[in-house]
Amino acid sequence: MKDVICRSRLVWMGVLTAALGTVPLWGSDYLVLFFFLFCLYLTVAQMWNLLAGYSGLISLGQQVFLGIGGYSVAVMGNYYGLNVLLSILAGGFFSVLLALFMSLFIFRMKGVYFSIGTWIFAEILMIWFSNWSFVKYGTGLFIKTNPPLSTNETFYIAFVLGVGSVALVYFIMRSRLGLGLMAMRDNEDVSETMGVQVFRYKLYCFLIAAFITGMAAGVFYIFQVFVQPYKAFSIDWTVKLVFIVIIGGIGTIEGPIVGALILVFLSQVLADYFSVSLLILGAIAIAVILLAPKGIMGTLQAKLGFEILSPRRK
Amino acid sequence: MQRELALKVDNINVFYGEFHALWDVSLEVEPQQIISVIGTNGSGKSTLLNAIAGLLQPRGGDVELFGEKISGMQPHQTVVRGVSLVPEGRRVFGRLTVYENLIMGAYTPRARKRRSTVLRMVYDLFPRLHERRNQLASTMSGGEQQMLAIGRALMSEPKLLLCDEISLGLAPLIIKDIYKKLEEINRQGVAILLVEQDINRSLKACQYAHVMLEGKVVLSGNPASLTLEEVKRAYFGV
Amino acid sequence: MIDLAQPIINGLLLGGLYAVIALGLSTIFGIVRVVNLAHGDMVILGSYLSLAFCMWLGLNPLWTILLVAPIMFCVGFLIQSVLFNRVLGKGMEPPLLMAFGISIIVQNFLLLVFTSDARALKSDLSMMTISLGEINISLLYLLNFLIGLAVILGLRQFFRKTFLGRAIRAASDDVVAAKLVGANTSSIYAYAMGIAALTAAVAGVLVGMTFIFYPHTGPQYLIIAFGVVIIGGLGSIKGTLVGGFILAMAQLLGAHFFGPGYQLLCGYMVLLIVLAIRPNGIFGKA
Repeated sequence: MKDVICRSRLVWMGVLTAALGTVPLWGSDYLVLFFFLFCLYLTVAQMWNLLAGYSGLISLGQQVFLGIGGYSVAVMGNYYGLNVLLSILAGGFFSVLLALFMSLFIFRMKGVYFSIGTWIFAEILMIWFSNWSFVKYGTGLFIKTNPPLSTNETFYIAFVLGVGSVALVYFIMRSRLGLGLMAMRDNEDVSETMGVQVFRYKLYCFLIAAFITGMAAGVFYIFQVFVQPYKAFSIDWTVKLVFIVIIGGIGTIEGPIVGALILVFLSQVLADYFSVSLLILGAIAIAVILLAPKGIMGTLQAKLGFEILSPRRK
Repeated sequence: MQRELALKVDNINVFYGEFHALWDVSLEVEPQQIISVIGTNGSGKSTLLNAIAGLLQPRGGDVELFGEKISGMQPHQTVVRGVSLVPEGRRVFGRLTVYENLIMGAYTPRARKRRSTVLRMVYDLFPRLHERRNQLASTMSGGEQQMLAIGRALMSEPKLLLCDEISLGLAPLIIKDIYKKLEEINRQGVAILLVEQDINRSLKACQYAHVMLEGKVVLSGNPASLTLEEVKRAYFGV
Repeated sequence: MIDLAQPIINGLLLGGLYAVIALGLSTIFGIVRVVNLAHGDMVILGSYLSLAFCMWLGLNPLWTILLVAPIMFCVGFLIQSVLFNRVLGKGMEPPLLMAFGISIIVQNFLLLVFTSDARALKSDLSMMTISLGEINISLLYLLNFLIGLAVILGLRQFFRKTFLGRAIRAASDDVVAAKLVGANTSSIYAYAMGIAALTAAVAGVLVGMTFIFYPHTGPQYLIIAFGVVIIGGLGSIKGTLVGGFILAMAQLLGAHFFGPGYQLLCGYMVLLIVLAIRPNGIFGKA
């Protein structure tokens, strides 16, 4: 019986995914935009969730990779005329390099020190890019891609990233890496004595997250057409990611999906009232932490055993 | 007329999340008694004391202190009613001095009023503490820390003293000394519920003993009437 | 070398201010084991409250300390009792993320009420200097240092001599034992947070008098506070002072050698290096 339920849920997921993928064919421009943002936020949030929910790494500095991704696309496109898809890949690549460098410092730090460390890197990069003539200082860069992309084309790239990120997390969790992560989540010291290479697994997750986030940023800024240090490396990104994952359910694969939907919806609804919107997001997040700390999907999972993409092996 | 019991534990069940730690545990302590609870690690002895003190809440059953129901109360409420726990591992305030530790023991308003009197009494009981009153607690030996923990618990003038494994990690001579002090405390009118792993020591000190295994009381009796064999068997569960 | 004397003196004085900024964060982290990511915003909230009183009552900013401090004490007390106390012991993420949420709320609330204009607490003091030979000592910097030192020493005495101070120290040593002697640890934590907020308020007024501030300046001071705690180590008043000095010095020397745009950067660099080499800080207890 349970098998049937699981299968029907997967079928529903498949149907919804197909519907999502074909939005440009049947949806209005507004809907395309809406789901474009949804896919991108989903991607970045899945990666943040991989770190915070599964690897115990609460990063308050993911915006580093978002900024690098954006600037990679800008620089590669404007200055070197690199093909747009390769530029996006470059964004991911440079993010991984940065992540490797960062890890030299921040992986020596535990807990909250790690989080602050990531944040400090973001602040450093913000200052660096604001003072760098190569990227035109704080005024930022306009982005011309080679070849120029239509809205629909950017949507499809975002869609691939969105679905890909969910699939990636799912397959990671079902792999050996995932087993190690879940063991670490329960008890880090014990799992280390059992051969789980804690440091290495955390590093892999950090690098993977950097890669995907960098690419998502590239797509985002292609759409934005303009990248600027103050916004690209801003903590506002983290605010939104935290919101998505907390509301959706930290440590669940479906959580970021629900959370991203709510976030994009709320920001559209509150678009005219920018600072109030962040205020409301913050207040909702706090209320959720107090009342339903597992988020929507987490609570559903705990109370009703409701899961669609379960990393558990049965 | 039935004498009022100092402590009555009536069929309590305690859980850690989903784990059932204490199963229908009952015992009684009369006002002048020393009662022992013996058992290995994991038998539930500390859980029992923590539940009485109020650190844990039982999910079924009652705990009564001199006739008043205290199950469900928090520690700061049970302390004012006359229960004091000397916790497992001593748990002295390491960065405070001996003196500061002791006066922290007199935290509640009523205890604060009587503080200087009771402090003098504790120093009389444990002269070593008076000697080292300005020393940081973390720099003291195990035995001295144990005395400090007991002294601190006495500062609230309890009518019932709960002692959780006070002989753990201490040299035999020191244990002997501490138990002598316990008898002195008992003589001054304080009921004592003693939890220990050391079978011999606790049987010698008490008027009645219980043996616990895996969260249940499996053997009870007057120490004179219990054979060592019986106790050992119950203790190890064979 | 005389050339360096000016930034060094300024560094020492500024270090005192940085130490006060960090005091609240360090206290709460050491006692309640909560990292209050909203600490910087509480400092700035203090600045804005002072601003409000200055505009409303026309006072010299220094006097507003007497008004802002008690208000912020209550704010801290409430935040701990209503919010943080509920998520203690439920893992590392909830308190961290909750503090983050509070930070966002405070920032955007200030933005709504006070707009994004640059603000400063104006007083005549900002212009006055004392001259010692070729070195100019800003009176404001000196005042910051002295008031900062007074707060730090005052807090030290509080923890040593008062009943509540002792109770807070005991609860931070062993919270279970504190419960067992009858202390209501939730309310002790609330008082501790209130005190932290109070020091943040004082820091906020001083900061507002010395530098320009915006609603989003909070995180900047959080990082400073963190820097001080990381360099100087947790749980040590001496460490907080030394940490403040080193951080301030790094910033000012950086500005001196590389230019004003690099002030923050140099501070961050020193921070990262210390984090990488000695994660527990120079005086830190493990």
